[in-house]
Amino acid sequence: MIWGAWLCLASPLAAALLITLGGNALSRRGAGYLATFATFVAFIGAAISFFSLLSHDAGDRSHLSTGWTWIAGGSYHSGFSVLVDPLSTMMMLIVSGVGGLIIGYSIGYMDGDPEERRYFAYMALFVFSMLLLVQGGNLILLLAGWGMVGLSSYLLIGFWQERHSAIAAAKKAFVMNAVGDATMALAFFILIQKTGSLDFGDVFARQGFLGGWAINLIALGLLGGAVAKSAQLPLHTWLPDAMEGPTPVSALIHAATMVTAGVYLIVRTHPIFEQAPKIEDLAAGLGAATLVMAGLIALVQTDIKRVIAYSTMSQIGYMFLGAGLGAYANGMFHLMTHAFFKALLFMAAGIVIHALAGEQDMRNMGGLRELMPFTRWCFLIGSLALVGIFPFAGFFSKDSILAAAMDRGWYGYLLWVAGLAGTFLTGLYTFRMYFVVFGGQRSAFVREHFHHEGHGEGPFSMTSTVATLAGLAAIGGWIQWSPFWHPVTSWLEPVARPLVEPANWMEWTSSGTALALGLGGIWVAWLLYGARRPRPVPRVAPVESALVHKLYFDEAYDLAFYRPAMRLSLLLGRFFERPLIAGTGRELAEGSVDVGRGFSRLQTGLVRTYVLAIASSLAVIAVVFVAVR
Amino acid sequence: MGNFLVWVVWVFAAFGCLGSGVAVVSFSNPFYSALALIGNLGSLAVLYLLLSSEFVAAAQVLVYAGAVMVMFLFVIAYLGGEADAPWAGGPTWQSLAAVLAAGTLLVEIIVVIGLKAGGRLSHQAHIGRSFGSPAQIGRLFLTDHLLAFEITSIVLLVAAVGGVVLGAHARRRYEWGSARLPRGQAP
Amino acid sequence: MTIAMLGPEVSWYLAVSAFLFATGAFGVLVRRSPLIVLLSLEIMLNAGNLALIAFSRHHGRGDGQIFAISVMAIAASEVVVGLGLIVAMSRKRVALDVDKLNFLRG
Repeated sequence: MIWGAWLCLASPLAAALLITLGGNALSRRGAGYLATFATFVAFIGAAISFFSLLSHDAGDRSHLSTGWTWIAGGSYHSGFSVLVDPLSTMMMLIVSGVGGLIIGYSIGYMDGDPEERRYFAYMALFVFSMLLLVQGGNLILLLAGWGMVGLSSYLLIGFWQERHSAIAAAKKAFVMNAVGDATMALAFFILIQKTGSLDFGDVFARQGFLGGWAINLIALGLLGGAVAKSAQLPLHTWLPDAMEGPTPVSALIHAATMVTAGVYLIVRTHPIFEQAPKIEDLAAGLGAATLVMAGLIALVQTDIKRVIAYSTMSQIGYMFLGAGLGAYANGMFHLMTHAFFKALLFMAAGIVIHALAGEQDMRNMGGLRELMPFTRWCFLIGSLALVGIFPFAGFFSKDSILAAAMDRGWYGYLLWVAGLAGTFLTGLYTFRMYFVVFGGQRSAFVREHFHHEGHGEGPFSMTSTVATLAGLAAIGGWIQWSPFWHPVTSWLEPVARPLVEPANWMEWTSSGTALALGLGGIWVAWLLYGARRPRPVPRVAPVESALVHKLYFDEAYDLAFYRPAMRLSLLLGRFFERPLIAGTGRELAEGSVDVGRGFSRLQTGLVRTYVLAIASSLAVIAVVFVAVR
Repeated sequence: MGNFLVWVVWVFAAFGCLGSGVAVVSFSNPFYSALALIGNLGSLAVLYLLLSSEFVAAAQVLVYAGAVMVMFLFVIAYLGGEADAPWAGGPTWQSLAAVLAAGTLLVEIIVVIGLKAGGRLSHQAHIGRSFGSPAQIGRLFLTDHLLAFEITSIVLLVAAVGGVVLGAHARRRYEWGSARLPRGQAP
Repeated sequence: MTIAMLGPEVSWYLAVSAFLFATGAFGVLVRRSPLIVLLSLEIMLNAGNLALIAFSRHHGRGDGQIFAISVMAIAASEVVVGLGLIVAMSRKRVALDVDKLNFLRG
């Protein structure tokens, strides 16, 4: 059973290595097939682990398998171990399943790109890193996977290296993630100092002995890492820029899996967070703030991928909200459904972008519903799932989070209101996007640039995977309907017992209100964008400009961090590095040359000088010999 | 009486040596320098005789004064004996340093020999009749110092060959493909 | 029958040799014409010879004289080569001035 988990971990790594080493011997298509095959093999491994866990009793569902001793330094030991338990198998299935579908989609999307092999190698590397992150048996391996997904994200965002904006976006993503990595590392240092180990079991057993400030710092550090990786306030500015990468990258990394790693971290280390309730509340608060803010900004975005990116930010805010409240299973369930419909939305958008030869600006699109009916229906399913309309997936997961908020006193109600506001905004911006792209008349741009593949709206690899995800987004939510059946919560209970137990009336109230608000948002969007005679969009100039500038976060960070850093480095360069370090090197070199030149003046070339030198030294030596003897 | 005579001859020969030595380094005209050197060699031969080394004295006159100096004079005659005005322009730092070095060497030699061997130098060995005779020289050359004899012969051969090579005209080197220096240009 | 030494002791001859050596060294260091340099070199060699002969008389053995004869032969060879060089130089119209011959200057 454990070997299933090892297979899951090893398969994408093997694919990445093979593609890298194969080089030109492997065809571009071949690289794509290999990566997809490897990811599906990983899915099979994950499924094997899942089913074998099922065959065990509920209490016996945590297995740690150590491959070898990885780090042994002084009193600290750490093995390369793989943890198979309900939480990790759930993540493994999501990552490998959705990842396999997206990599299959890339075969069609990236067809013809000269660097396809590099792309698939990076994708396989990413899948391996994400699996390492979720399967790691101790915090060090989690950190290793954490860093590697950050690396893969950097590599893939900047995949089209000629594009200056892509390189800049990749650097921005990496640097902001590094901030989170730093706080996590600091948390780990405190953990090691206090408990002496980073294995899950040891840490959770001993953390009851930790003092108040220590546990709060640790939780804060972990939260910092989660916030950076999941693009929550305040470390969120990298996610919209990350849309510079190819669309499947956005689907896999920045929607379905990597950005959800923060949620996974909080759920995995929830015993630590439960000891630091203030930090938990902070997490929930950040999630709520992010979801409202991202929803607002999404209202004014014109790039179709950026709308979906802000939507992702907002939905992860929901997951943080759930995890911060203690509704771990709800948060994870929303993670799963979100992976389905968000990847679906990205991939459907990718088909549109592909058909319009790379155009991403929504203002140039319109009237695509007759030209691309299949894509249109998939997009619609994804949108409805996102807004949380019954019977699609988002309804079941999102509303249960809102219900959980009602069980936490006045602070919970505050978050509940924020969540409901977010639902309205979600309906509004999602269907704004839908109506602008697919509704209305065909724009001039579309008439000019739309080209058919001839055999349908896209290659089979793209359409089949999108169809699979559409199916999952449609029916995937039915796996748990909280008032009636909740297998997900029971599955995750041994690992993450929820802190909140919302009553049934809370569930019904939340669902009803959220559904109503979602439909309200859709109706407003239809009024403004979709109706035959759309109403003019109400614009308040300062609000609109603030939203267009993404609430000035980028400018604020530029002033607060970038400019001082540049100033400091210039100063250091001028006063420290150039005179002291480069100058030392140059001085040494020039000094040696001068010494050499001085010595070369001895070589006058005149015989007389040489003879004089010999005679003088003879005189001196004779004196020395006589005196010494 | 015999001792007194030896002293007088010694004084003349020694001062002749020194004077001609100074003359060699002082004359501007190389021809005069060469003649002074011949005088020097003659004085030295007298000194050798005073030291009972007849064969060496004879060899000195025959070989040195007779062959080497003649060669010198031939070359000076061939070259035209251009003067090089050594003392023009006053004493340079080079010449002052040279005086200093030479003086130091002189003092040192005297001091060293005086210190090390001063006491023992006053007891000369008594010699037999055959000292310095050709027979003794020949016997020594062919028994104790045979190696020196042979090596000296080889060196003489090499020098002769070298002299011929240096004196030969530069051949045209077309067959070796290297550039030929045009006549009159310094290398 | 053995003969004692007449006249000055060996040390006087050694003094003459030292002076000759110094004079020759001075000449080598100061003169610019290679011919004169060679002549000064000869003086130095002869000074060495004189010292050898003097010591040979002092010890009463003939080895010093053997050495002196070898030195004479070597000096002759050296003069041959040196004069050959000077003649070759003058044939190539090189100035016969050691101060001008500084092609090995660093």
